[in-house]
Amino acid sequence: MAPHRRGPTVTSYQLSLQQLCDSSLPTGAFAHSLGFETYIERGVVRDEESFDRWLGAFLSQQLTYSDALAIRFLYEGVPVVELDELLSAQLLPRQVREASVKMGNRMLEIGTEVFPSPELSAYRALVSGGRAAGHQPLAFAVVARSLGVPPAAAIAAYLFATVTSLTQNAVRAIPLGQSAGQRVLRNAHDAVAAAVERAACLTPDDFGAVSPGLEISQMRHERQRARMFMS
Amino acid sequence: MLRPHYLDESGQVCYVVVNPGGAYLGADLYVVDVEVGDGADLLLTTQSATKIYRTPASFAEQRMTVRLGEGSRLELAPDQVIAYREASYRQNTYITVRPTSSLVMAEVITPGWSPDGASFRYEELRLRNEIHVETDGGTRLLALDNLLIRPPIDDVTGTGFMEGYSHLGSLVVVDARVDQALADDLHQLAEEFDAYTGVSLSATMDGITALVLRSLSNSTEKLNTLLGGCSGLLRQRWYGQAPLNLRKY
Repeated sequence: MAPHRRGPTVTSYQLSLQQLCDSSLPTGAFAHSLGFETYIERGVVRDEESFDRWLGAFLSQQLTYSDALAIRFLYEGVPVVELDELLSAQLLPRQVREASVKMGNRMLEIGTEVFPSPELSAYRALVSGGRAAGHQPLAFAVVARSLGVPPAAAIAAYLFATVTSLTQNAVRAIPLGQSAGQRVLRNAHDAVAAAVERAACLTPDDFGAVSPGLEISQMRHERQRARMFMS
Repeated sequence: MLRPHYLDESGQVCYVVVNPGGAYLGADLYVVDVEVGDGADLLLTTQSATKIYRTPASFAEQRMTVRLGEGSRLELAPDQVIAYREASYRQNTYITVRPTSSLVMAEVITPGWSPDGASFRYEELRLRNEIHVETDGGTRLLALDNLLIRPPIDDVTGTGFMEGYSHLGSLVVVDARVDQALADDLHQLAEEFDAYTGVSLSATMDGITALVLRSLSNSTEKLNTLLGGCSGLLRQRWYGQAPLNLRKY
């Protein structure tokens, strides 16, 4: 009898990465629009198409030049304390800076519970000692790297997880239908791949390059009267 | 550099940087070093707009290093940046302040100039400001303000980027007196103008905070009036000075 043919085995990190990127991971991402709520208030983001446009801009600009690049540099050996300082200095809209730190600190706590590593303990110690703020992309990158996730896969997973939670928030806030949300996510695949490619080509000088419209909207959210989200 | 002069009775000295040859060309590198001594009070401006012509071989660049001493004040008010068709320009400004220094800088970027009148025909504009706070215990990065506009690579005109506007203005204030109330006042003031403006604060380090105001509008004049109104509020409130009038035009 022929031996039973087996498919490829699950990679060592695959399920861990899936758990880390699942939108049920309690980092509080449901509470943040990272600026799109300002566009909703202005009537600029109001349906599937207009949210898709905002998401594309956010992904190809801010997420690529700040988050994705921070993850790449961490993998390349830039000390986490330096990258943490750069992120705190570059995230000039206060709510977005606070969102990154809030979700980052939750990620550090959860990571310590389920994916402990010496690198993660070291970053946590820097945060508790007041020498680092604890930003979300860096906390994620430290865990992903310790799990043996290759850099491009880590960046893609992080970007898609962020895009997913933002889309879920948009489904509630605009509101959009559940199927519309899934179409937006499917449409984002190519943009995530392009962002991973772009992040691989950028230089340290590019880090934290801002898009004025996104940034102004994130700043204006501080003064928005009725709002569902903390950013 | 033109002969230093005084615009009012406050003791603030004004220096005007003259752009040599009137414009930047490919591979040009200008290095500007500014040191404002302890207790000194400087207004630094330019004689005319920073124009960057075609830079086919390599980008034009300005590297500026600014150091502010204890209790010193710098008001940096250059003219607008105009990039011509096929121009690439990098402006790197590295600023070090003490916790008692005071910095106000304002800048306007135009959509550039091309023979057919179309906007955003340049290759690339990079304006990168790093602001560090220095104490006897060391130096820390307070704010990184990095603007990168590459019209051939991204659609810079629409949602997320220029939002349909043509001109971009920035005001950065670094001072121990910067607080949320001041941010609210400047926001209130900016709302009176025909522009789309945001204001926010950096973290506070060694008692000093950076305020960043970013504004989109449709002309240099509108943004100059808005930014001038904001810096005028600071001049009045902190120094009892009238709004800046450089009488250049």
